[in-house]
Amino acid sequence: MVVINLFLVNNIRYKIYSLPFLISLIALSLFSVSCSKDPIREKAVAPENPDTTQNPTSYDEGIFVINEGNYNWGNASITFIDNRTNATVQDLYQIANQHNLGDVAESMKICNGFGFIVVNNSNRIEVVNLKNFKSVKSITGLQSPRFLELIDSTKAYVTNLQKDISILNLQSNTITGTIPIYGWTESLIRYDKYMLVTSIGKYSEPSSKRKAQILVIDTQTDKIVDSIQTGKEPIGLVIDKKQKVWVLCSGGFDNFEAPSLMRINPELRMVEKVFTFPTITEVPSRLCINNTGDTLYFLKGGVYQTPVTMTGLPTNPLISADGRLFYGLAIHPKTGCIYVSDSKDYVQNGTVYQYSPTAKFIKQYTAGRIPGGFCFTSKNAK
Amino acid sequence: MKDTLQLPEFELTSKYVLENNGFKKVKIDSSIIISHLNSDLSTLLSQYTTIFIKSYGNGTLATPSFRGTTAQHTQVEWNGIDLNSPMLGQADLSLIPVSQFDGLEILFGSAGISRTSGAFGGVINLVTNPDWNNRLNILASQSIGSFDTYTTNINIITGTSSFQSHSKFNYASALNNYPYYNDFLMETVNQHNASYKQFGFSEEVFWKLKDRHLFSAKLRYNYDDRNLPPTTTKYEANNVEKNVQSSLMAVVEYKYVKKDFNLSVRSAFANQKMHYTLDSTYDDHHQYYSWINKIKFTYIGIKKLAIKPGIDFTHDEVNSEEYEGIKTRNTTSVFTEINYTPWEKLKTSLVLREDLIDGKFLPLVPAVGVDLTPFQKLNLGLNLNLSRNYKYPTLNDLFWNLYGNPDLRPETNYSIEIGSVFNFLSKSKKFYIELNLTGYYSWIYDMITWSPVDGNSNLWKPENIDEILARGIESGINIKWEIVKFKFKFDNNYSFCKSTYEKASSEYDNKIGKQLIYIPVNTLNSTLTLERWKFYLIYNFSFTGERFTGKDNLTVMPGYSLSNIIFGKNLSLNNFILSLQLQVNNLFNLDYQSVASRPMPGINYAFTIKLSFDKPNRE
Repeated sequence: MVVINLFLVNNIRYKIYSLPFLISLIALSLFSVSCSKDPIREKAVAPENPDTTQNPTSYDEGIFVINEGNYNWGNASITFIDNRTNATVQDLYQIANQHNLGDVAESMKICNGFGFIVVNNSNRIEVVNLKNFKSVKSITGLQSPRFLELIDSTKAYVTNLQKDISILNLQSNTITGTIPIYGWTESLIRYDKYMLVTSIGKYSEPSSKRKAQILVIDTQTDKIVDSIQTGKEPIGLVIDKKQKVWVLCSGGFDNFEAPSLMRINPELRMVEKVFTFPTITEVPSRLCINNTGDTLYFLKGGVYQTPVTMTGLPTNPLISADGRLFYGLAIHPKTGCIYVSDSKDYVQNGTVYQYSPTAKFIKQYTAGRIPGGFCFTSKNAK
Repeated sequence: MKDTLQLPEFELTSKYVLENNGFKKVKIDSSIIISHLNSDLSTLLSQYTTIFIKSYGNGTLATPSFRGTTAQHTQVEWNGIDLNSPMLGQADLSLIPVSQFDGLEILFGSAGISRTSGAFGGVINLVTNPDWNNRLNILASQSIGSFDTYTTNINIITGTSSFQSHSKFNYASALNNYPYYNDFLMETVNQHNASYKQFGFSEEVFWKLKDRHLFSAKLRYNYDDRNLPPTTTKYEANNVEKNVQSSLMAVVEYKYVKKDFNLSVRSAFANQKMHYTLDSTYDDHHQYYSWINKIKFTYIGIKKLAIKPGIDFTHDEVNSEEYEGIKTRNTTSVFTEINYTPWEKLKTSLVLREDLIDGKFLPLVPAVGVDLTPFQKLNLGLNLNLSRNYKYPTLNDLFWNLYGNPDLRPETNYSIEIGSVFNFLSKSKKFYIELNLTGYYSWIYDMITWSPVDGNSNLWKPENIDEILARGIESGINIKWEIVKFKFKFDNNYSFCKSTYEKASSEYDNKIGKQLIYIPVNTLNSTLTLERWKFYLIYNFSFTGERFTGKDNLTVMPGYSLSNIIFGKNLSLNNFILSLQLQVNNLFNLDYQSVASRPMPGINYAFTIKLSFDKPNRE
């Protein structure tokens, strides 16, 4: 390039012609220089309100918001809401570890001072030290993991989208075995020495071919001892104060049947009550229960609430969506506050809204891409 | 017309027809095409035009977008026949080998209305042309590149002054296991499950009778077997995701040319089969057939006036496992182009198009264009055009099982464009400069976007929800200069494009006034070509500005610059030419991603050896 430059300038005859060349070359070199040699990777644009990013001193008392991220975009993240200062911190994982969390972070559990973040599509569980959020282990060898539930401080089960339930050793952070399952398992809840797990069927099959049930697994022998048939696609599972298990069934992604809410007696392993939703296409999700175990919550457009003693499903929402896309829901174990996330159109950063148990708006928090899951710190546990 | 450079070797299909006035069209140099025989169309466009190519990795899905619109607003054509899939409404440019065409023309914005409705961004047309002076031209080329990339091309072009046959064969294969730094795994890895095999064959015959009748028949077959590479964050899953695709196209054409009128009749049949698999989880078959017919009449018998009416009829039929039953679509399009030259310096055109889709009339698509060359001695042209355009939803948008939305309305586009072009050729004919500057302002209503259904976060549907305002400036400086037997060429294109969301779906929506995702505001490319002693050097520089990855514009992929060099030598002996060429891509070994989590290769090389035999008619 330089050679050409000199050559052009020395020929006065052509000087006038060389002008555009020169200008272009200069522009070109400027462009080349101004572009940094840093790897070209997705990054956050500096926030407009810097006060929302102030660092809390610790992650002791607050809520981790699990932002799923878009499928295959590598943009899952964790937001922390500090319950004492109401401050939020974004991109916790990325900042502490200098690499991204992968994508479709589904859920998070806390045990022994460590956080276990289940990242579905990247097929990992990231184990982070809750003091500094640094990753201490990436657990691999899963089958599209969904949720993790603790059995005790040494052992946990992980449900998977593809097949099997993975048995996780919480001391060594390794997968020590699997419980063979044909297809997708979703929610799990502990009851006595058993783990109840919702089993949906093979992911790639239509609802008509899928067998929906709750599996009863003996956590000492890791064997399936019984099963209870449910409505299609059982996705939510909670246990109330009377030790009754509630199951929310979506009815199938292909609108196979009307969604339903079922009450199960885990002792007798029998369905006691079935409440069927009126509209097949209005699909409920995110079944939650409050700290006292007497009120159920779920999403169906808006946030719905119903006492466990109900005789029918609630018809009006407790909190209406009003143009928001409610996606995640959690009830604060200590305060009973309702946390609901708006994931917008999935291609923008989401927002978390906090309401009192009586649905009074308290505060809203900025979150990351597709906030879906919530994880309360141990100090917040009841 | 603002063509870049009028190269003598570049012959246009529309030679017999007057071009429409006031609309922007650009051609790519045939010298660029010939030095990229081993590439695919996406490489060519991303390096030499300001069309943004959204690339998901080396040798995998690459879709075009220009003037702030999407890939579905860009029509890709092969000799005027639509290559966009009626299912997706877009074309994957990585599947189109450069060796299958000799010319490339790009119609910007409203210029596309003379070809089709719905191409709000524009039309990319791949052209093949007969050279009646050719007697025998044989080309054999073998290219060997990094990551076990091999490309073989054989072209046999033969004929007489009234008959020409083009036989072209291409085969490409690549392991494509390029190393990259995976910042999720925090180590350098080799990309896997990225290999591909591509086979193509085309046969075209042209027959001219008494300079009156032109018959041509074209057959084009492509087979592509490729693995779809994982994202950086899914690298460990070791999935085998695969797409095998074969497409066949057959075109017959008849042209009748007389002094003041001509007639063109074309009929094409296209068939594409796709077979997608993901491990043993998914196994999907899709297939479509299209029957495309085009009749166009040109009459220039009245002074100052050219009238070009025509009718197109297309029948699409899709057989997909993701549709409920076979879906069809019949599109009839009646159009006319009127070129009127009231005064030597002023040329005008009017294009009207009326589409009838499955028995329903779309509103009229009109476009008006004006060309003005005000000065006698100064080669300065000004142009203006206005248009209204409609885009019908794709068949996937309408019929995809569970998710398709049969209630979709067509998208609407209003656009205005003002341009200017200046060129100057020195008396010695050794220096040529062309400057062009175009501004456009385009509004899209009812744009179809896949988004979650209100109140049901589990269900996605395409809906007419977005309103887009796209405006921008395109400029170019092209210089050609011959000095002491050195041949220089310096082509520069710059595009500034603001394309923003203008309507929010609710008060919580933060996208108003924000740039569309994956549409860069700034793109620039420069190509310097040098020739002397039968050596040639092509230095190409391209800059792609930052692309937002969220509609709220809070996350961004930084801009990047890439440089590529091609260096070659032609050795000739009698009728033989032996060419040796070395190509270095990503010269400065930039670690970059065009799309988030989709790794691109660092510096890589290709060596090409090409032998051609050329025997033209020497009379």
